[in-house]
Amino acid sequence: MDKIKDDGQTKTKKEISIIHPRPSSIVAALYTLRDLNVDVAILHGPPGCSFKHARLLEEDGIHVVTTSLDENGFVFGGHDELVALLEKVSEMFDPKLIGVVGTCVSMIIGEELHDAVLEANPDVPVIEVEVHAGYRNNTKGVLLTLESALDSGIISENEFDRQKALLEEATMVEKRHGAASKEYLAPSRGDVKYKVAQRIIGLLKEGKRGITIMNAKKETGYMFADITVAVNEIAKQLGVETNIVNMANIDDTLGLPRVRHHAKCIKDDLEARGIVIHDNIGGLDEYPIAGNVAGKLIDEKYGDYDFAVITGVPHAVPMDSISGMEIISVTNGPRQVLPLKEMGHKYVIVEIDLHPKTLGVNHIVESEFGATLREVAKDE
Amino acid sequence: MSDNLNEQNKPKVIAIYGKGGIGKSSTASNVAAACADEGYKVMIIGCDPKSDSSITLLGGKRIPTILDLIRSGVDITEDDVVFEGYNGIKCVEVGGPEPGIGCAGRGIIVAIQKLKKISTVQDQCDLVIYDVPGDIVCGGFVAPIRKGLVSEAYVLTSGEYMPLYAANNICRGLSKINTPLSGVICNARNVSREDEIVRKFAEEIGSKLIAFIPKEQIVQDCERDGFSVMEKAPDSEIAQVYRKLACAIMSKDGSVMVKALEDERLRELTR
Ligand SMILES: Nc1ncnc2c1ncn2[C@@H]1O[C@H](COP(=O)(O)OP(=O)(O)O)[C@@H](O)[C@H]1O
Ligand code: SF4
Ligand SMILES: [Mg+2]
Repeated sequence: MDKIKDDGQTKTKKEISIIHPRPSSIVAALYTLRDLNVDVAILHGPPGCSFKHARLLEEDGIHVVTTSLDENGFVFGGHDELVALLEKVSEMFDPKLIGVVGTCVSMIIGEELHDAVLEANPDVPVIEVEVHAGYRNNTKGVLLTLESALDSGIISENEFDRQKALLEEATMVEKRHGAASKEYLAPSRGDVKYKVAQRIIGLLKEGKRGITIMNAKKETGYMFADITVAVNEIAKQLGVETNIVNMANIDDTLGLPRVRHHAKCIKDDLEARGIVIHDNIGGLDEYPIAGNVAGKLIDEKYGDYDFAVITGVPHAVPMDSISGMEIISVTNGPRQVLPLKEMGHKYVIVEIDLHPKTLGVNHIVESEFGATLREVAKDE
Repeated sequence: MSDNLNEQNKPKVIAIYGKGGIGKSSTASNVAAACADEGYKVMIIGCDPKSDSSITLLGGKRIPTILDLIRSGVDITEDDVVFEGYNGIKCVEVGGPEPGIGCAGRGIIVAIQKLKKISTVQDQCDLVIYDVPGDIVCGGFVAPIRKGLVSEAYVLTSGEYMPLYAANNICRGLSKINTPLSGVICNARNVSREDEIVRKFAEEIGSKLIAFIPKEQIVQDCERDGFSVMEKAPDSEIAQVYRKLACAIMSKDGSVMVKALEDERLRELTR
């Protein structure tokens, strides 16, 4: 492949021009700040910027506020507004750690986040992220945030390198079979959950052997894990629980503190429900590489299994290892349906609006597909 | 003179472009004054954040700018921003942020939209001059043209290489936004063969030289006192040049689409 810069500045001929809107780097920065456990994130920009996610993040216990730059701010700059807001949040929320995030507006007009931080001089560390929404890959927002966190000594060099490698892999995963794989991907609701539930029950009844692979991105694991639980419950009900092996990326020793905490919570919940995870395939932030781990394990141990239920980021599991199986995958991205079908997944299910339901929780949350499975199994 | 010089009731709206410091503002204010002397109703809209377009028409005084008022959050009316200067010339300054802060380009867009909303003075004029800042560095600086406000663009240059280079770039910009050029004005810096060089440049891009303004100390002397040449030294030779230029501008429009020169050709021209 040609040299491709991920910073959005250079676009080689080989880069496709994607026309569906996709996740914003600003929002990615906000979520990363959350993972770094900031108490307050300040958006330096227009009041409506990143509104929906700012709201969702509040469910996760962090305060998101905005300098609310208006037409005056666009013309005259918003230095004073940022200084004032830094002072205000210090008083209001008594934060231990603050994040300041740029937006298109403040970056285009050349606002210096650092100048404002110096002037306000809060007595807690501030992670400054000079980011806008114009990057080709939203992982750039994560990277910029981590760079700044590294500079202010909040994460170690090792953790930074690890995250950076994961991000590069995540970008590649999206380019290969994800939302960045095509010029345009129409959103789809996927297959009917009821039908797919029937099929899984049918497979179990036939005595087929299956693998569940949860390869979830961070907190989305709270809901994807429910599908693992449901499949196991039904297998048990049908007396074939030994026909199922479970894999999940719930290593609670990896990643940023908040991410580890999620892994721990999910792990504990699974244990409490008597679900055995036969293979732990990585940390909750390792979804870009955990799919490969799953693939290797299958090659070694489970190559002759009949079906696989893959949840989270199913397109990161290499087809080579599973092409002989009937694949049922569950995603939360409506644009992911088409690429997954093209990869050869027989059934693709979308858990609509999964993400909002997994914010601010620390227990497994029931999924629509899990609920459907349980409901359909009642008639057995 | 008659109040009805503007027969079609459509003002001539012009903008003078050119390298920073080349003399756009002083030419604009002297042309404005010369036209006002002829009895035309004239308005000058300063679009430079420095707000220095109308000073010499207001006896050296500064007026509140549109953006200052917008910033202060008050309701703005026409009377707050349109001031009467020399010989009834309506003066407006857009204003803008301090250098190096915010976005002056966006400021111009916001201000001229505001002005359009609160004032109809422009429509009652015979000549409206948008005095734009030096180089067209971003979209905001061509907003008066893009938003369809300006009907004629002029380019001001000396015979020096850099001002010509800037003028040539401006021509390139104009053709990019499909705007014709109405003429080239030479504001002399006393370099050798100046008249010839600028005339040739004008011809080769497809336009014509409509005035050659000499470099005269009196322009700066008047400016220092806060006046245009037309007001302070109406009998000077250069006042006559401004009068002729005013006449040329007010007469029929010689707008043509121009084609910028290749860099190499431009260099040859000035050698
Ligand atoms: N023909 C001229 N002779 C002498 N000085 C001039 C002449 N035209 C402009 N100047 C002087 O050049 C300086 C810059 O002119 P100005 O109109 O402010 O340039 P611009 O608006 O293009 O930036 C001013 O001090 C002005 O008085
Ligand atoms: S354009 Fe940029 S700054 Fe404006 S709302 Fe969108 S993401 Fe935010
Ligand atoms: Mg000027």
